Amino acid sequence: MNHLNELTLKEAREQLDRGDISSAELTEQCLGQITSLNTGLNAFLDVWVDDAREAAKRSDERRQADGPLHALDGIPLAIKDNMVIRGKRCTAGSRILENYIAVTNATVIDKLEQAGAVFLGKTNLDEFAMGSSTENSAYGPTRHPRDPERVPGGSSGGSAVAVATDMCMAALGSDTGGSIRQPAAFCGIVGFKPTYGRVSRSGLIAMASSFDQIGPFAKTVEDAAIMFDAIYGKDSKDQTTVDGGSFETRWMKDLKGIRVGLPKQAWGEGISKNVRESVEQSAKVLESLGAEITEVDLPYSEEALAVYYVVMPSEVSANLSRFDGMRYGAREHASTLLETYLETRGENLGPEPRRRILLGTYALSKGYYDAYYKKAKQVQTLIRNAYAGAFESVDVLLTPTTPSTAFKIGEKNNDPLSMYLEDLFTVSANVAGLPAISVPCGESIGLPVGMHLVGRAFDEATLLGVARAYEQAV
Amino acid sequence: MITREDIQRSAYLARLGLREEEIEKTEKELENILGYIDRLQKVDTTNVPETSSPPAEASAFRSDEVIACPPEDRELILKNFPARQGDLLKVPAVFERPKK
Repeated sequence: MNHLNELTLKEAREQLDRGDISSAELTEQCLGQITSLNTGLNAFLDVWVDDAREAAKRSDERRQADGPLHALDGIPLAIKDNMVIRGKRCTAGSRILENYIAVTNATVIDKLEQAGAVFLGKTNLDEFAMGSSTENSAYGPTRHPRDPERVPGGSSGGSAVAVATDMCMAALGSDTGGSIRQPAAFCGIVGFKPTYGRVSRSGLIAMASSFDQIGPFAKTVEDAAIMFDAIYGKDSKDQTTVDGGSFETRWMKDLKGIRVGLPKQAWGEGISKNVRESVEQSAKVLESLGAEITEVDLPYSEEALAVYYVVMPSEVSANLSRFDGMRYGAREHASTLLETYLETRGENLGPEPRRRILLGTYALSKGYYDAYYKKAKQVQTLIRNAYAGAFESVDVLLTPTTPSTAFKIGEKNNDPLSMYLEDLFTVSANVAGLPAISVPCGESIGLPVGMHLVGRAFDEATLLGVARAYEQAV
Repeated sequence: MITREDIQRSAYLARLGLREEEIEKTEKELENILGYIDRLQKVDTTNVPETSSPPAEASAFRSDEVIACPPEDRELILKNFPARQGDLLKVPAVFERPKK
């Protein structure tokens, strides 16, 4: 049988359960797809052919002997290269970790391993997850599968492309300001960021610790739910994880009784015409399913990007200070300790991490802390309160995921601020700590458009339920 | 707003070596970004508390237990050392002029 890699995760799981296919066959076809496409697209940084075949074989043997471990047993996955896997290289898309071998598994990796998943390899990302295009990788950009002159989005561009081109059945990414949802929108797949605290960040190379969250890329909403179910949970290794209650899927035949809010602050200017039309159309679909669509006021939400670009670089400046050339990673040789630090970090950290480290160091420094960091943390409270207020009258919020479709490689290189504005719609979910998902909702000039739904904290069930109802209706 | 000295000072604090050509470019870029961030100054935050990190529901402390490091993991850690002498990590001298 061919094209097994084009199945959804759920379909593959069902065929595996029935014995119609084996994990070995499925894995082999994913590996074949990677061989065909990866040179041109640069989605994967490392592919582990032997290990993947070995894991698939073990899965098939397990299935024969005792039955599958979990829904993900034997399912080939791709992992963004900022999550550590013991004994394997982890670069975070940076030169400073070019030869770094991880010494432990991220908690999500342990969970997926225990579920019997097959790891195909690590995917490309903007360096240290900083970027919205995957152009900031020290290992070359990842290209959009429909147009190699265009970006796939970022920072989890590699994982997005891997799923969009059927190189894997699903993938993990990380999302700090939109890094799962934006590439999902650009590439025409589902990208989901859980509530902050749902998924352990232990083993995720930290970017901004109060915003980072790991989440799945998948071909369907149901596939994303299967992935989420495998990775969520309070973890003693991550003090920011919370017991948010058990996740039970809430699939709905219609959306009667569901209230969808359109934040008036988001639906103003700055959305390209075709994105606006596609997402407005998706609102009509939700309405036709019985949902009540209303405009809501989300005061201060238009300040979320500014809050993010103070708080995030501040946390980055702290989190990246560990890359000092001492215990691991690249070390430049210099005559003094100070020069070793300056050269190691100066030579091996790329322009975007440097920019954000400087911004964050400045924002936190004496004389500027109150004006920048403290102010941003106060405005963050206003934003979080605004969302809490909105969720008293609606169940989900709807906006486009991105202001426009995938842009050309190099288009935004000269203006960092224009790149940052790509995150306009996604970033507030990170600032407010809420779950959010991008679902494909059409195309514009051959390029995918994503609709963005935000849900109540820890109510991933309703969020995914609404997303799936939409998906089934179109 | 942000000056050359601010950038040089921040770079030194962050132990980040900056090339001469970079400083001017960085000045312009950061100026631009700070210009955007400036919009926060217009927001009235009188008596508004800062969002506390981590979230209020974060867990209590775990017990302080010694967990042995498996030999294979220890080997991986040692292999990552940029410079090594036996099992010891070799680093540049912290004190350039040691006290006598």
